[in-house]
Amino acid sequence: MAKTTLAPRKGFLSENPSVLRFLGLLALFTVIVSALAEGFGAGVISTSFLKVLGMTLCLCLIAVAMDVVWGYCGILSLGHFAFFGLGGYAIGMWLMYARTEGIVRESLANAPIPATETEIRDAIASQIFSVVGSTELPFIWGFAHSLTLQLLLIVLVPGLLALVFGWLAFRSRVTGVYLSILTQAMTLALSLYLFQNDTGLRGNNGLSGLQNIPGLLHLPQATVALWFFWASALALGLGYLLFAWLVSGKFGSVIRAIRDNESRVRFLGYHVESYKLLVFTLTAMVSGIAGALYYPQAGIINPAEVAPITSIGCMARSSARPVSACCQAGSPAAARRTSTWAFTRSSGRIGGWCCSALASWRSRCSSRKALAACSTTL
Amino acid sequence: MPFRTLLSRAVVVAAFVVMTVAALPRPANAQDGLQPLLQIYAEELAQPSRRTFGAVADALLADGPPGMVNFLRRFAAREVVQRPEDGLFFYAQDAGDLVRLIDVDTGDAVAEVSSRAVDQIRANSGVRRVIAAALVPFELNAPDRARREAALDAISRSADASQIAPLAASIAQEPDPDLQARKERLLLLLTAQFGADRPARLEAIAALGGDTSIEARSVLNQLTATRAEVASILPDDANIARVLTVGMDLTQAEAYAALVDAGLAEPAQTPSELRDVLAANIVEGRVGGVPIGRLSDPAARIAAYEALEQSGAVPPRAAPDEAARAVAAHVFYDRYILDDAEITTAAQDALDSTAQAIATYQMADLVLDGLSLASIFFLAAIGLAITFGVMGVINMAHGEFIMMGAYTGYVVQLFIPDYTVSLLVALPLAFLVTFGAGVAMERTVIRHLYTRPLETLLATFGISIALQQLAKNIFGTQARPLTAPDWLGGALQFNDIVGISTIRVAIFVLALIFLGVLLYILKRTRLGLEVRAVTQNPGMAASMGINPDRINMLTFGLGSGIAGIAGVAIGLYAQVTSEMGASYIVQSFMTVVVGGVGNVWGTLAGASLIGFLQKGIEWFNPSNTLAAQTFMVLFVILFIQFRPKGIVALKGRAAGD
Repeated sequence: MAKTTLAPRKGFLSENPSVLRFLGLLALFTVIVSALAEGFGAGVISTSFLKVLGMTLCLCLIAVAMDVVWGYCGILSLGHFAFFGLGGYAIGMWLMYARTEGIVRESLANAPIPATETEIRDAIASQIFSVVGSTELPFIWGFAHSLTLQLLLIVLVPGLLALVFGWLAFRSRVTGVYLSILTQAMTLALSLYLFQNDTGLRGNNGLSGLQNIPGLLHLPQATVALWFFWASALALGLGYLLFAWLVSGKFGSVIRAIRDNESRVRFLGYHVESYKLLVFTLTAMVSGIAGALYYPQAGIINPAEVAPITSIGCMARSSARPVSACCQAGSPAAARRTSTWAFTRSSGRIGGWCCSALASWRSRCSSRKALAACSTTL
Repeated sequence: MPFRTLLSRAVVVAAFVVMTVAALPRPANAQDGLQPLLQIYAEELAQPSRRTFGAVADALLADGPPGMVNFLRRFAAREVVQRPEDGLFFYAQDAGDLVRLIDVDTGDAVAEVSSRAVDQIRANSGVRRVIAAALVPFELNAPDRARREAALDAISRSADASQIAPLAASIAQEPDPDLQARKERLLLLLTAQFGADRPARLEAIAALGGDTSIEARSVLNQLTATRAEVASILPDDANIARVLTVGMDLTQAEAYAALVDAGLAEPAQTPSELRDVLAANIVEGRVGGVPIGRLSDPAARIAAYEALEQSGAVPPRAAPDEAARAVAAHVFYDRYILDDAEITTAAQDALDSTAQAIATYQMADLVLDGLSLASIFFLAAIGLAITFGVMGVINMAHGEFIMMGAYTGYVVQLFIPDYTVSLLVALPLAFLVTFGAGVAMERTVIRHLYTRPLETLLATFGISIALQQLAKNIFGTQARPLTAPDWLGGALQFNDIVGISTIRVAIFVLALIFLGVLLYILKRTRLGLEVRAVTQNPGMAASMGINPDRINMLTFGLGSGIAGIAGVAIGLYAQVTSEMGASYIVQSFMTVVVGGVGNVWGTLAGASLIGFLQKGIEWFNPSNTLAAQTFMVLFVILFIQFRPKGIVALKGRAAGD
């Protein structure tokens, strides 16, 4: 500690060359994929596979977030995929509203008398909610007409939920396994809430048609997919940079110390709860962003995506590697491996599950070499 | 009992009666059948009159053959015709343009004639009442019990004021105590409904208070039926149930709709009607002088309409505040359909006391439901209480052990067709299968992860997905039936409100047995002692000669085995699918955590809390179980905030940390 305060501090990037390496690799990957993509005419990578790659980058982003919250801070949260889903719902509401508005305006344009704003709103509401037998726009859709507000909600809603939940949980010192089960219960409550038809998010049907971006309907999907891929890569790069910077300094040391021995850190005078709350909320916001980029590429979101089992599954997919690796090796390598890991999502399912089980088991009983071997066989 | 079943039974009974009665020796005139007897009273039958027909019906029924009751019924239903040529009576049946004549004795079709060739006998309502009154006592006092029962069924099906007197008269003669009680009850209902004697009727209505049966409630509801009405001032003579307040009891729009329905106000113009009118009056791109382009503004639309109104092109439009003023000028109230205030008040009082009784019973029913749900949660969680609660292993594959147990039950049923035997075989077999699976899992995976709970979670989760996929590959994705034996198929019905299915009682009993067995094993056996020793301090236990590896293996196997038995029980009332375990796993963990880790009693407390809570929340909004579950989970989250160690928290060194 004393050494770092006395010595003249070098730049963050020069201190952490691995960050540059990761960003360089990411950029290289993006450029290569873009060049091969259909949107640029090469057509080696089909649009649907490009979307899978973009979605994988989003999963990588949430994996990095999970890495920080679990690997660095020791909070095994099973709730981050709920935040992921909330981000998806937030952007999905705007996508669906704006697109329906376009359709409604077009169909009303031929009416003899121009429609009033109320009529347009009513028509949109009945279009969106006829599947759940309602014709009124629920109040939570109050901001859906505005892209700016809805973009804010992508980070605000998960952030607020994480803040309240985290404050409650950390304040009463729920830790370890109990916290995991508590976050799982939160995810369950959220998915049960979303499953209801009368809560205003179309219940079981979820939000669909999200791949059609209002205002970009004249563009082919190949181009839109490419843009989303770039956006995902950019978000991953920035998210990685943010977290790498966050964990590199004193803050990172404190949260690592919390992971290793919470009581001692508390006795040293740190306010453990605030640190945990900050990490939890920040990662929740990043998860929301990841979700908001993921679901327009997936095209549909429904409550099953938020269900606890799916969440653990996604978590197992996306973070078994960074966790087992980063606890010992440090994050840059972990995040890079995360990308390979998240790939297994699109590959064979049951194999992936077995490997996830195997990986976390092997990481315990033997060395990391077994793990590396495991990853290469994937 | 469904009405159809009742009816078919009545028919069977009636046929049986006819056959036995026909075999008996008869007086000479009756042996010849109905027709000769009818001919004696031909004149009275042809021209029935209310005054004289009572005596005729009594005489006909007094010594008539059994078909006479049927004849009189059809007579009252105007199905009897007389042929003018010979004066004979026939049943008439429509056959296209013609009338088919059916012999009253044999039931054979005799001829088909034009409807003008026969005289239809028109029994007026007075005569029909006479006949009904004549028939009911005949049936109510019939020597055969089944016939009396059928008569009572008929009365309760179509109650009628004319049945009161004969019913009352028949009670004293009724030999069968059950039927007598039923008759008394029916008399009470009839009196409450139609009684002419006011004090007796009021007394009967009061006696129905607190009676929760559907018949009593429907009688009272009929008496207190109301009709929504509207008037400018509250009428003095009407029997008003209650005055409705606009804004509280009904919305402004509903009130205005009621006014429109009553013809007291003109229908208000809706925005879409306004739009249509405007669209119909477009002249050269303008409506009433307003350019079309501006009509997206509601104010401009109104201005355009008013301009049209002034030019006389459209009828005047109600001013916007007219609806509010019209509603304010009227009073809305519910009026009893029955005008007798004394009766309706008595009935309302009786209904109120019934409502109290119903609330009590519903509470009892709720408690039963909660108990049953709690025992299901307990069953699902009890295995977890051992593996997670006692050993501290987070086994996400616990749900899959439940599934394995259920599939074991299904497979056993494929080989043993007798459901009772197969159930008896399946229970221990499910234990053995899941015990084996649990031991195998403990040996291969969990053993290596004892110090890493979070990694255990992921590893067992992977195993759970693999097991689910395995089940899908073997058994397919569709649900498999696990049929309960017949003696578990019924329901324990205490009254119209309180009831519980036998299978849930069985699950409750099974949960109790589990609780007992588990407590016995943990507290009274050598294994239990060693288990507690190993979980408290493995090192010390090992130095005392206990083999921790063996104990851990056995404990995990025991927890898994119990999950298997729970799976058989759960499979009996839910469907057996590869995902059935997954739906219990989160609830099970919550049950254990809420109850308090490391304590079987805690699991019981947690299951009870969660079960009763969920049913209690459901009670507020019975149609929405999802909302109940949501609130229940939120409650659990809050609960853990305040009691992080659960209801029954371990104290002292056993608490660990």
